[in-house]
Amino acid sequence: MAAVLLPQLLHGVVFGAGLGLLALGLTVIFGLLGVMNFAHGELFMFGAYAGIAVISVTHSFWVALIAAPLIVAAIGAVTEMATLRPLYRREPLYGLIMTFGLALAFREGARQLFGGDMRRILPPIEGSIPLLGMTYPKYRLFLLAISSLLLLAIWLFFTRTRAGIVVRAAVQDAEMLDGLGVNVPRVFTLTFAGSAALAAVAGLLLAPVFTVYPTMGVEVILLAFIVVILGGMGSLGGSVVAAFVIGITQSLLTLWMNPQRVAIAIFGIMIVVLIVRPRGFFGREGVLE
Amino acid sequence: MSSLLPWKGWVVFAALAALPLTPWMTKYHMLLAFDALLFGAVAMSLDLLMGYAGLVSFGHAAFFGLGAYSTAVLLERGILSLWLCLGLAVVIVGAYAFVVGYFATARRGIYFALLTLIFAEVVYTVFRYTQAFGGSDGIQGLPSPVILPGVALDTPIRIYYAVVLYLLLAYLACRVLVRSHFGQVLVAIRENEDRARFLGYDVQRYKMGVCLISAVLTGLAGALYAGRAAYATPDLMHWSISGEFIIMVMIGGLGTLVGPIIGGAFFILLQEKVSSYVQWYSIVIGVVLVLIVLFAPHGLLGFRRGLRARPRREAAG
Repeated sequence: MAAVLLPQLLHGVVFGAGLGLLALGLTVIFGLLGVMNFAHGELFMFGAYAGIAVISVTHSFWVALIAAPLIVAAIGAVTEMATLRPLYRREPLYGLIMTFGLALAFREGARQLFGGDMRRILPPIEGSIPLLGMTYPKYRLFLLAISSLLLLAIWLFFTRTRAGIVVRAAVQDAEMLDGLGVNVPRVFTLTFAGSAALAAVAGLLLAPVFTVYPTMGVEVILLAFIVVILGGMGSLGGSVVAAFVIGITQSLLTLWMNPQRVAIAIFGIMIVVLIVRPRGFFGREGVLE
Repeated sequence: MSSLLPWKGWVVFAALAALPLTPWMTKYHMLLAFDALLFGAVAMSLDLLMGYAGLVSFGHAAFFGLGAYSTAVLLERGILSLWLCLGLAVVIVGAYAFVVGYFATARRGIYFALLTLIFAEVVYTVFRYTQAFGGSDGIQGLPSPVILPGVALDTPIRIYYAVVLYLLLAYLACRVLVRSHFGQVLVAIRENEDRARFLGYDVQRYKMGVCLISAVLTGLAGALYAGRAAYATPDLMHWSISGEFIIMVMIGGLGTLVGPIIGGAFFILLQEKVSSYVQWYSIVIGVVLVLIVLFAPHGLLGFRRGLRARPRREAAG
């Protein structure tokens, strides 16, 4: 049993770490703009395709890991300024509908640029190493390590740097921050760019484990939504915890169920959470209820 | 009747009824007109929920799809009566909508949207992977349903008239509903839910009621759609279809009933026309949506008002 359970558990942790990166950007944007960003999955997909493009030029995964998030961050910044900025003072549902339209256009744009077929990115680190009595792919361990490092770095950013504290202040009370002389629209745009970069990193890091195709974002965005709600909308720590919970739960459930039953089970968990405790694990009470 | 449908409305329906008599209506155009009017009716049903009760459902594709599967399952087994198909759709969609409505209406705003979305995804996943329903291929190659013994819904003209009749009846039903006390309470709930509750209205019952009506109307449209398309596939239930329904309502203008009908028809015609010229029509649709939200939030037709405008921070707590 342990021989099956342990690798599956580790798979879950690895996937959870990637999911955490994706969900973190989503939850920050939700906290800031009150918008569930439907296009976040497409930014994740852009990360993988930007990686493929950069790798085809430079033949280096490592260059792509730096360049792809920067490219996607730039796309995110332009998108935010052009489309979301005019919506700041409107009902959040407009943002939801707006990002749905953006997702539609982005997805088709990727299909036109890169074609609809599945692509693969080869893992930059090959082979496996013995670990706790099993052999485990090195790349997945690297993925876990770098995701954990990034999550730690983000935590330090939000707690130890002035910029991070400004973003948190904007989540709390943007008007007050504006009154204190901070350029709030710029904070929003930069935060959106950062969240896009995180989605891109997640997309590129997970690409060697899964496959790359234009609708890959659609598949993962619902899971990311679930993570954000489970963790408590707008709660950063909650999202990370929930990402690992969902990653591990999904991974372990596949031992007993076929994938569609797992999907239904995850949806079931979500429905129960929304009914019983809509603010999730760590959310503030009454947010958008 | 004239107070429900002013003379302009009767003129429009008379024109729709006369449309097949014009020489340029080929079989292709007739079926395109069917789709345009059918999805117009779906958008109108969703508008009942979005525009009047202020509840944004991201799961209407499940109601539509369940209606389509109701027809498909019966036709596949040789039960050809359209009335039985519609009846089954009402029962199935009604039962499902009752469950979803019971849980979803206990929540507001984005939580309502997410609950309807996730319930719909469960339905989608079940149908996508159940072999009895044909899995991802769905149920294909269905015979035409029969209206009366010997009269099958098998020619474009008959199919077209069926949808015109459905649209007329559904529109009158919606119009009666929003004019009634029930409809007025819904608007009161949209404007200020707490105040409506303090006035003694059982808010959740009203919300569940409108959910049920909107869902059943959408399900009936789905049942008709399967009769015309001769298939039902899980793709009809995907959440991106729910998103398209919302787009149709937004294009037409919230809370107007007429606007979403035009929005739905416009969306179908736009999709059909653009996709016949370019492959990347999704980009056009996406950009059109973005432009509408940015520059015409009350819908292309500029009808009345959009969602209640309120300061963003208040909404985020």
